[in-house]
Amino acid sequence: MTRQPKPRRLAGLPRLLSRNADRVAVRRIRWLLVIYGLVLLVVLGQLAHIQIVQADEYADASVRQRERTIELPATRGRIYDRDGDVLATSVEGATIYADPRAYQGGETAEGEIIPPAAEPVDVATALAPILGREVDDLVERLERDAHFVYLGRQLDHEVGREIRDLELPGIGVLAEPKRVYPGGGLAAQVVGFTGIDGDGLQGLEAHYDTVLRGEPGTLLLERAPGGLDIASGVRELLPSQVGTDVVLTLDRDVQHAAEVAVNDAVEQFEAKGASVVVLDVASSEVLAMASTPGFDPNERAQDDAEAWRNRAITDMFEPGSTQKAFTIAAAIEEGLVSPTTELTVQDRIKVGSSTFTDAHPHDESTWTVGEIMERSSNVGTIQIAQQLGDERLDSYLRDFGLGRPTNLGFPGEASGLLMGHEDWWGSSLPTIAIGHGVAVTLIQLANAYATIANDGIAMDPSVVRGTVGGDGRLSPNSPARQREVISEGTAKAVQAMLVDAVSGDMGTGALASVPGYSVAGKTGTARKPAPEGGYSDRYVATFAGFAPAHDPQIVVAVMVDEPYPIWGGIVAAPVFAEVMEAALIARRVPPDGSSPTLPEALVRAQAVLDELAAAEEEDEVADRLGVPIDDPSSPPVGDPASD
Amino acid sequence: MSAPLTTRRPARQREDDRRPELSVVVEPRRRHTLAYALVMILLLGGGVFGAVALNALAAAEAVQARALERQVADSERAYGSLVAEVATLEDPGRIREAALDLGLVPSGPSRHLHLERNLPVDGAVVQAPLPESTPDPLKPVLSAER
Repeated sequence: MTRQPKPRRLAGLPRLLSRNADRVAVRRIRWLLVIYGLVLLVVLGQLAHIQIVQADEYADASVRQRERTIELPATRGRIYDRDGDVLATSVEGATIYADPRAYQGGETAEGEIIPPAAEPVDVATALAPILGREVDDLVERLERDAHFVYLGRQLDHEVGREIRDLELPGIGVLAEPKRVYPGGGLAAQVVGFTGIDGDGLQGLEAHYDTVLRGEPGTLLLERAPGGLDIASGVRELLPSQVGTDVVLTLDRDVQHAAEVAVNDAVEQFEAKGASVVVLDVASSEVLAMASTPGFDPNERAQDDAEAWRNRAITDMFEPGSTQKAFTIAAAIEEGLVSPTTELTVQDRIKVGSSTFTDAHPHDESTWTVGEIMERSSNVGTIQIAQQLGDERLDSYLRDFGLGRPTNLGFPGEASGLLMGHEDWWGSSLPTIAIGHGVAVTLIQLANAYATIANDGIAMDPSVVRGTVGGDGRLSPNSPARQREVISEGTAKAVQAMLVDAVSGDMGTGALASVPGYSVAGKTGTARKPAPEGGYSDRYVATFAGFAPAHDPQIVVAVMVDEPYPIWGGIVAAPVFAEVMEAALIARRVPPDGSSPTLPEALVRAQAVLDELAAAEEEDEVADRLGVPIDDPSSPPVGDPASD
Repeated sequence: MSAPLTTRRPARQREDDRRPELSVVVEPRRRHTLAYALVMILLLGGGVFGAVALNALAAAEAVQARALERQVADSERAYGSLVAEVATLEDPGRIREAALDLGLVPSGPSRHLHLERNLPVDGAVVQAPLPESTPDPLKPVLSAER
């Protein structure tokens, strides 16, 4: 059988079919490629959207998820006294907090019940004895509707460790700097204190807050979702900068002696308050500045806020007879009088419509200027002031630093009150010449006496020596500016007169004597202005002076507010002696050879004890002591200042 | 009419002329696939192991560094507490109270003697300089003398 040839028309069909299949496959492949391309474009687009458009947002989310920045609080700088003894420092304290909602239970988003972590009363019962608080008080805090409540702040580190060891649910412990004042109330009104957050609120803590506070640091960590640190992750530590230390001019020992002395004086003489300022003559640096009532900055919540005030800086008073030294110094400087110039002094003088009297009636006497100072004669001083005139007296008082702040660099310093001489009236000159109608702060009074002690050279007082940086070395403050108020000769003359005011037979400051040292100074007793105008029957007793008189090194000014008895020579002078003696010993000032023999000292001590015992009767004090005292009745009736 | 005589070489001969000359083909080297794979596995394994080991070492160092930081922090805290404690113990008021509790009484007025030279107990005069005071490590350097 022969094979039939296929028809020519169908011979190419398989090839045709194959070609069609290829075209279909190619078409399908192209479609797939197109689809893949589109998908790829979508992916690339999304990738670009994420990596470019939303890059920052996702990066931030990532950082938020894994990184944790911990703020490292800066340690506040210390405050030292002039010898490097610590007056204020910071230690690590513990802050206890709670999450009250942990004790309330709840329900998750999936409906799962979360039981309370513990009973608040159980937790409170465990914490109460450690925190020293009532259980009910703690329960009230633990039952609040909040995520965070403080249970105690700035507690001792050991308290925090004890609570941490209890592993109480919902209770946490944070480390927090705690400011401590090792001396308790020592120099508290000068140093001040910080608030619960470590910010300076009072005193030098507030004034030097930006210096002391330092710079907080940060610790950047990477943490897994479970809260564990990623060991190989980012860990960037920016250490906190410790605050700069501040070194004061205070001497801790002198400061303590000053505080003891004013506290004893307030207690002994039933006074409302008292202040004392101790200055170094050569530099006008404040060695001590104490006021009572005081307070303990570690437990200040228990004290009256009135006690926080640094009265030696903020409170003004009339200086009384202590101002006579400035009036007489001005007259000597102007060449109007000398210490030996004799004046005829009666026991009263009328100026305009006002009459001024001396403390004790006396016949018309011829006294030298030195005797006028020694006897603290109002009339004699007024006669000298009248030669001086309004303008010159005003000018010299301002040169001595009255009527303006001392640039001490302490917050809240008062400027005192001294009217311009253009506003003075008839009795202003005599009134101001004897220390009335003018108000000073104790630091002003002390600095004015330091000017006399420093041979007429005035310097702004300072309470800060400098700062101590990271190298542990002192960077001293710039030295105080100097200006001449009176000449050296005038200053020497006034110094000699002030010695007589203490050790002279008619001196009013006998109780200011310091064994072994010659002392110069002046008492003052002044009525306090009444709130309704005029003068009240309350007094301020003052004493200001320096030692050793022949080479002055230390100035002490004392003010006792509303004492009984009222006299500066009885109340303030012994405080001066006690503080001056402590300061001279602490500063290692050698005695100048004027110490009495032992028998003399014993006799003098017995006499002082007898006089103090006799001073209980106010009217008998002057007679029994045998020394004249300041006239508490100045200014007299008719003086405009008392109207 | 006769066609022009041309000597045409046969097509086969032309193709032979275009062929390169034959040469001996070297037998291709056998590839050691298994060894290659092993080497790669070893390299990868070594790399992974090295990375993990370095990570572990870094983690160990980090733990140690953290422990040291904690130790430094504890030491600083202890130092700060000790400074405060020393200052508290040195406080004149506390010393005064402690002295009073021990039965001491405040001294009376001071008396002074001026000595022109040091007098030791045996009577011999010694002009030895005073020993220099040791700086207090708890206090800052406040002057060139300290």
